[in-house]
Amino acid sequence: MKKEKTEELIVKWIDGQLTSEEEVQLAGLFQENENLEAELQEMKSVSESVTEKIPASVDPPYCDFFGSQLMRKVDLEIQSRTPSKIGERLVKSFQWAWAPVGALALVLSFFAGHRISRPAEVTAAQEQEEGRLIQFLPTVYFAGESLEAEVISDSDGDVSAIFVHGLAAIRDDIDFATITTGAELPKSYARSEARRFD
Amino acid sequence: MAPAGTSPDAGAGDDEISDHQLIEACQKRDAKAFETLVIRHRGRVYAMVQNMIKNEADAWDLSQEVFLKVWKALPKFEARAKFSTWLYRITHNVVYDWLRKRKIESAGELDDGILNESDIAAGARTTPTKIARPDDALANSELGRRINSALATLNTEHRETILLREVQGLDYKEIAKVMGCSLGTVMSRLYYARKKLQTLLCDEKGKD
Repeated sequence: MKKEKTEELIVKWIDGQLTSEEEVQLAGLFQENENLEAELQEMKSVSESVTEKIPASVDPPYCDFFGSQLMRKVDLEIQSRTPSKIGERLVKSFQWAWAPVGALALVLSFFAGHRISRPAEVTAAQEQEEGRLIQFLPTVYFAGESLEAEVISDSDGDVSAIFVHGLAAIRDDIDFATITTGAELPKSYARSEARRFD
Repeated sequence: MAPAGTSPDAGAGDDEISDHQLIEACQKRDAKAFETLVIRHRGRVYAMVQNMIKNEADAWDLSQEVFLKVWKALPKFEARAKFSTWLYRITHNVVYDWLRKRKIESAGELDDGILNESDIAAGARTTPTKIARPDDALANSELGRRINSALATLNTEHRETILLREVQGLDYKEIAKVMGCSLGTVMSRLYYARKKLQTLLCDEKGKD
């Protein structure tokens, strides 16, 4: 018989969980080794003593304090997961503002342009290359001093991202769809200065 | 002290709220229900931790940690699982993490530090009521003391297997789930742990 099977039979015998088939198998082992049964009886009595002498349940010392301390930690955990009601109310009360702000940002990003800044040192070759590339970039107009925009394009000018910083009102009396040059815009709309292409 | 051998899941009588109902309430973040659940199970968790690490103060802290983890994980607890097995599994993880941190597992050193009662002024208004000490039940029992010291010499896995089987009364499958091992491993650990305990206790008897 395999060692593992023998161990299993012994463990189950101590716990009184042998099936009838396993009982027959163990009886065979008892016949082979006449000391085995006495040995297992001793092992069984040790197991029973452990069950009898070691308590399964022992209240922690200062169990009242144990409970209160734990519940304090639970309360802290609950609080850490719940946003403060005031903060929640504030966020809710300003929710209406996000729609017009978002729409305004979209409109401004459409009409606003890019600002290209120049690095400290630019070589002549780079300047020449930039001059060639800049002509593919759109001219961008700023609605007032408070607005800034920048365009980041790939080297072919096929893909562009426009970042708009700040907010400014758009005048209702200007029809942006029909304007083709900066000259047609009011003076407060400054034309972007093309300086460098990244 | 709760009587040994009763199932933690059977903690509720007919007129009491069952564990299942308490767990459902806890999953809706009912702290009061959780407090009841803690009162019902803290004894078993503390006894298990204390018997594993043999240090009252750390056992107290670790038991707190177990229940805090239980609270955090309860929303994910599935009703078809057995709560006590799940609770012992969390206890197992907390104890093993602690042992790993302390790096005492391989060395087999066990800190026998005891909470110093003399540090607390007798009759102080803030002194909490003390109900029981884990070793009280063993203090007046010579055999209990010997068993306790024999258990302390077993390696962590063997000690835990014995405690889960003989003391907490889990069946083989539950032990395998708690310890994250196969049924065969449980059988083997039980066999060798029992054999070692038998040898240790017989040796001591011989010395006496």
